[in-house]
Amino acid sequence: MEEIHHSRTLPADLSAPAAVLQWRTRAAGVTAVFAILAVLDLLLSHSFDAILHGWLMGLILCLSLTLGGLALLMVQWVSGGKWGLLIRRPLEAMSRTLPIVFLMFLPIAIFIKRIYIWARITHPEQALHNGLIDAMQAHAIAYKRPYLNIEGFWIRGIIYFLIFGIFTYFLNKWSLQRDTDTAHNNWYWQKKFENLSGPGLVVYSLVLTGMCVDWVMSLDPTWFSSMFGFMFIVAQGYAGLAFVILVVLALSQYSPMDAVLRKTEQHDLGKLCFAFVMLNIYMAFSQYLIIWSGNLPNEIRWYMDRITGGWGPIAGLDFLFHWVLPFFLLLSRDIKRNKTKLARVCVIMLFARCWDTWWLIAPAFPSERANLHFTWGMLEYIFVPGAMIGLWLIYFFTTLRSRNVVAQNDPHLVELMESQHAHA
Amino acid sequence: MPVQEGIYGLLAEFDTPTELVIAAQASYQAGYRRMDCYTPYPVEEAAEAMGFDEPAEKGVSRVCLLGGILGGLAMFTLESWISIWAYPLNIAGRGKWSWPAFVVPAYEWTILWAGLSAGFGMLALNRLPAPYHPLFNAPNFRNGATSDKFFLCLEAHDPKFSIAETRALLESFNPVSVVEVEH
Repeated sequence: MEEIHHSRTLPADLSAPAAVLQWRTRAAGVTAVFAILAVLDLLLSHSFDAILHGWLMGLILCLSLTLGGLALLMVQWVSGGKWGLLIRRPLEAMSRTLPIVFLMFLPIAIFIKRIYIWARITHPEQALHNGLIDAMQAHAIAYKRPYLNIEGFWIRGIIYFLIFGIFTYFLNKWSLQRDTDTAHNNWYWQKKFENLSGPGLVVYSLVLTGMCVDWVMSLDPTWFSSMFGFMFIVAQGYAGLAFVILVVLALSQYSPMDAVLRKTEQHDLGKLCFAFVMLNIYMAFSQYLIIWSGNLPNEIRWYMDRITGGWGPIAGLDFLFHWVLPFFLLLSRDIKRNKTKLARVCVIMLFARCWDTWWLIAPAFPSERANLHFTWGMLEYIFVPGAMIGLWLIYFFTTLRSRNVVAQNDPHLVELMESQHAHA
Repeated sequence: MPVQEGIYGLLAEFDTPTELVIAAQASYQAGYRRMDCYTPYPVEEAAEAMGFDEPAEKGVSRVCLLGGILGGLAMFTLESWISIWAYPLNIAGRGKWSWPAFVVPAYEWTILWAGLSAGFGMLALNRLPAPYHPLFNAPNFRNGATSDKFFLCLEAHDPKFSIAETRALLESFNPVSVVEVEH
């Protein structure tokens, strides 16, 4: 309240604080520790497949931060709003980590036969005859062969990255050009960003649906769900928003973000988080309810794999972390307006994404299907994604540091500089 | 209600919302709690200046939460009662109490009752509708509060209230006028 008479000024230096470099060093430490643990664990488990399974989980998590950033970036261009300006530069930095995610994708595509059953089984009838797969799998693999084949996986994968690369390239390039332009051209830039972002969101949802079908859903070729793509889109928004709020809150300890982040916009971001928490459970529960109502053998198996044989408590905890905790915490106005408390909620949300991704991916593999049991290889679901996220963070902090953290030449910036209690 | 007599409060008139917010905040810091701001359009900052953030002022949030919980529980219980006792149906062998199907209506009722409780709770806590309010005895309030004037009223039942001191405090904010309002 004491800020009422306090007029605010934008610092002359808008570049990222030096603390970002310190965070990057810490991320490097985390990466090294997890990488060493992953290698030690490989010596205990003797299972290269376990590394690959962990790698797929890490890929999905890093992808959700990168593309979640890109999607929110396009959303804030289309919707407008002061909260969008506040998180724009961190979102741009998140979207520019696309190259490292592409590098992470390559091992999956190279070792495709060790991960995806439809790539491993080249002759379904023969495999059925030899008892390697059951009739439903044999039928699904043969029937879906025109889509689920190795060449198609590679070609589609590269096309997905190219499409996202184009959007990332232009949104980032123009944003930098706008910084150096005059305020006179605001309208021109605004329209330009809107015209790319609007269609971009449609393209994003289509391409991402293809991506999650290829990389995650096809782990079990017998299963299908039309809700799956939307679930992934919302999950990316969920993870991307939680992460970007953490970044902005951390940056607000230093200049220039401390001059720009106001309680009002922090509250708005908290409310947006709440919306994603609701939307996420809406998607997840809709899919469950539809499959539960239908109760068809070819659909229900996917859930049975994930709630029986010890996976039940994991699913229950997923619900707790993903919805119960963030929902009830974010109901409170005080938590949304308190930096430390909001940051804690965001950490819970990011942890929930890791937990959920594990629950989605691990039970798809025959050794873990409907059978949760400890193996040394299981620890790779912690170590490998840990190292990959660490690596992603190193790259992210480098991209974040490469530009000013506050975008200029935006009318919202003037509004953000007004006192917290704008006098109407 | 017994007829109340005497002074209701001191009413200060301002030309701009900024002056009003500053005055309200200063009065709050001076220890006044029984007060209210009257503006032609919503001025959120005025609420904050009067200590809206204090825990004691969160009646609407609590009513809303309570309404939501009761609404959700009511629908879930109703569905359970119907399916188990009133008209037992066993659909596709899932058992009578197949709760996943109950979640959607229960959720809808949570939203409905939270919304209705927030709306009506707000009206009740504001003591609305109020057919009579002493402030309308002040002619400048009658003419200005719904068009272009901003008012701060420090009410007489505040323990700190004293005609002379409170008037001096309000005068110090350079208002257009300070008038006594009768019950």
